[in-house]
Amino acid sequence: MIRKELNTRSPLRILEKSTHGGVGKGNIGVIAARKGVGKTACLVHIATDKLFQEKHVIHVSFSTDTNHIVAWYEDIFEEISKRYKLDGAMDVHNDITRNRVIMNFLQDSVVADQVNKSIKSMIKDGNFSADSVIIDGYDFSKVTKEEFARFKKMAEELQIEVWFSVTLPKEGEAFDSKGIPLLLSQHYNNMSIVIVLEPRDTYVQFKLVKDHDVVPVDNMHLKLDPQILLIAEDA
Amino acid sequence: MANNLSKMRNLGISAHIDSGKTTLTERILYYCQKIHAIHEVKGKDGVGATMDSMDLERERGITIASAATNVSWKDYDINIIDTPGHVDFTIEVERALRVLDGAILVLCSVGGVQSQSITVDRQLKRYNVPRLAFVNKCDRSGANPFRVKDQLREKLGHNAVMVEIPIGLEDKLEGVVDLVTMKAVYFDGKSGDDIRIEEIPADLVNQAKEYRDIMLDAVSMYSDELAEAYLEGTETVPQIKDAIRKGTLSLDLTPVFCGSAYKNKGIQLLLDGVVDYLPNPSEVDYHALDLDNNEAKVPIKPSDTEPCICLAFKLEDGQYGQLTYIRVYQGSIKKGIELTNSRNGRRFKVGRLIRMHANSTEDIDYAGCGDIVALFGVDCASGDTFTENGMNYAMSTMFVPEPVISLAIKPKDKKSADNLSKALNRFTKEDPTFRTFVDQESNETVIRGMGELHLEIYIERMKREYKIELDTGMPQVAYRETVTQAARFDYTHKKQTGGSGQFGRVAGIMEPNADKNYEFVDNIKGGVIPNEYIPSCDKGFKQCVPKGKIIGFPIVGVKLTIDDGSFHPVDSSDIAFQQAAIGAFWQAVEKAKPEILEPIMKVSVEGPTEFQGNILGSINQRRGIIMSTTEEQNFTRVDAEVPLSEMFGYSTVLRSLTQGKAEFTMEFSKYAKVPNALADELKKKFEEKKKLDAKK
Repeated sequence: MIRKELNTRSPLRILEKSTHGGVGKGNIGVIAARKGVGKTACLVHIATDKLFQEKHVIHVSFSTDTNHIVAWYEDIFEEISKRYKLDGAMDVHNDITRNRVIMNFLQDSVVADQVNKSIKSMIKDGNFSADSVIIDGYDFSKVTKEEFARFKKMAEELQIEVWFSVTLPKEGEAFDSKGIPLLLSQHYNNMSIVIVLEPRDTYVQFKLVKDHDVVPVDNMHLKLDPQILLIAEDA
Repeated sequence: MANNLSKMRNLGISAHIDSGKTTLTERILYYCQKIHAIHEVKGKDGVGATMDSMDLERERGITIASAATNVSWKDYDINIIDTPGHVDFTIEVERALRVLDGAILVLCSVGGVQSQSITVDRQLKRYNVPRLAFVNKCDRSGANPFRVKDQLREKLGHNAVMVEIPIGLEDKLEGVVDLVTMKAVYFDGKSGDDIRIEEIPADLVNQAKEYRDIMLDAVSMYSDELAEAYLEGTETVPQIKDAIRKGTLSLDLTPVFCGSAYKNKGIQLLLDGVVDYLPNPSEVDYHALDLDNNEAKVPIKPSDTEPCICLAFKLEDGQYGQLTYIRVYQGSIKKGIELTNSRNGRRFKVGRLIRMHANSTEDIDYAGCGDIVALFGVDCASGDTFTENGMNYAMSTMFVPEPVISLAIKPKDKKSADNLSKALNRFTKEDPTFRTFVDQESNETVIRGMGELHLEIYIERMKREYKIELDTGMPQVAYRETVTQAARFDYTHKKQTGGSGQFGRVAGIMEPNADKNYEFVDNIKGGVIPNEYIPSCDKGFKQCVPKGKIIGFPIVGVKLTIDDGSFHPVDSSDIAFQQAAIGAFWQAVEKAKPEILEPIMKVSVEGPTEFQGNILGSINQRRGIIMSTTEEQNFTRVDAEVPLSEMFGYSTVLRSLTQGKAEFTMEFSKYAKVPNALADELKKKFEEKKKLDAKK
């Protein structure tokens, strides 16, 4: 299969369809779940999908080792190219790794403004014209309303799409009447899309709880296949 | 006299540049009573540290060539290999690592794990060298050995465990607490010779207990005996030491020592650590390659009575001829025995056998298994294996990277020209990554190596040691040419000049080849090219490979298959088919979309976060691709891939961009296609040069 066809058949087109065109430039999307459910897999798949469309992605992580994140990308790429029998996989791979930068922060207590500043520096000084920024593993329990608002402002200023992953507490996770995790309620207005991952017996269900300013659809028909760690259609 | 292997250590000291490695080595020599006074690296007293034997090294404050020296600590024999810290000399480092059984990884307590430490650590891992970490410079302001320990865990993935904690830090550094014996150790006297052992100061007791528990938790993994005793609270010093040793030997655990070489604090305990925790030669598994049996691995028996196998790992030009440093892997070496160089089968008799101490030597008659000594007057190259009794073994071949940069040099006068060949002859023998050849067309001598600094140092040495006056050209990148699609060829070479003519026709296909630089396949059926002329075709193709037609650089990654042709019973000859193959080669290249490739370097820049923008900008301007950035505290590391041709003079640029606060390392990564605009420029330059050469 050629790259173009792969893009039209990507399950992420379903995500865009059920969210009125996806997150969109200048907006923030959030994937929330408990630890170990598959947030990183989802974000890396979303990023890889952007890369396949010749878009530029910055992946921000807070892990101890960048190789670990590279390995995620390699695995997801391999899975996709195998599944869709991608033509010229090696060339596509070389092509898309040039459009990806990993920014890793080792500090536990890194401040939001520093992350903001570094991303701007990468885009301006590094001349890296990012379309999307993936921020994985940021500790939301400490993020103030003002700090999050500055991320939103950055997204608008640089006209980029930002995806966050949010780890929900293990016990007693609580949601408000709209199904939004309480951890995120104070950021409600600054988030455009919120998806909660709900583990079921054999797969992980996507549940859309915020879709821009409209009422979210009941069923996104998307799931995460835990075997291959890819997002797939839930028929 | 046979060696007692358990009392021997072959030790390397690996470090980031400027982390104080040479100072540490100097102190070790002092405490082992090899030298009687301490000299500083930068040579304020005009003498310079004992291990830095070359003038140039003294001047620049860095170590280039590794010297081996033998010392005794308590009743142990320690051979110390001083290894260079700069990445441009990695072959020196790697060669030294090859013969080590254990190493001290020196880290700066302020700078911590820097990019070069990462490179050095990777090399230690490649050769499976167990290591201790020594956090040096604890007397500096901003010292924090605990942070360095954390970095060892995070950045290098070591299971790093403090076995000592400092008593005071920065200018208040007084000594260390040994967590194994739970005693405070102070180093008194002008040079720290007098060791005073006391109870742990009251304000440190809790911290010491805390770190001892962490240490015991970690090391009891390696010893059931200790684990049990620890549970019952009856652990003993020998039990703990035994567990640390087991963990270290398994390459899993890194005991962390701390102190300050400059202030003479903590060195003696580090030496105790070397004998307590690093392996002796019999505890490391070494293999030789059986050259008669397809290089099958043969285990080596670390015993004096077996036939001798040793490896020449370093050459030096001494006052009395070539000095060859060897490590004896098996058996022993005596004056007068006969050895064979397994590379060329040449036999020689062992004449003078020497134990080295940087600039002074001691004649010996015998060296046992595991020892590191030097031979005088043996004609060999670095990396050669010597064996006894006609065993055809080689110690495993060392990984030698291809040079990526070249420089044309021209001696100014006759005398310099004579000396130049002497110098080149010696340098190429000493350092396999340093190569030289004479360019047939320009008639210039070209030297090739691993980086700008690598070549600069050799040019300096030519000037100083051989008094050569020379002009140098601009550094030149080692480009390559390749083909990107398959193309058929069909070429007939025909010449009729009175007498017998020349005739040969060769046809087949040229294809890109990702695995090999050159491959020839004979697919001729029915004898359309007679068997005797098949090698002629191969020969003809091979003649074309060293010099491509786009910009005159070697062609790589081609596969040539011949499947058709014709001959003439009288006019066909070896030469005729070679000519036909040459014609066919260029015919095919033209159709096979040739491209220029350039070396891409893996570059790692590290500096304060405030300069992140400048660093990113400088990479971007150099056609670099940023792979990742890592921020920690106020430091940022940028990992990128940058074409080598853009990296010339980068150290100067980086210095001015970051007020000298950032540094970088680079290593060859791969060859990649040159962008079209640049390819056109290179082609233009090549054409101009050709015209110029033609005029000459």
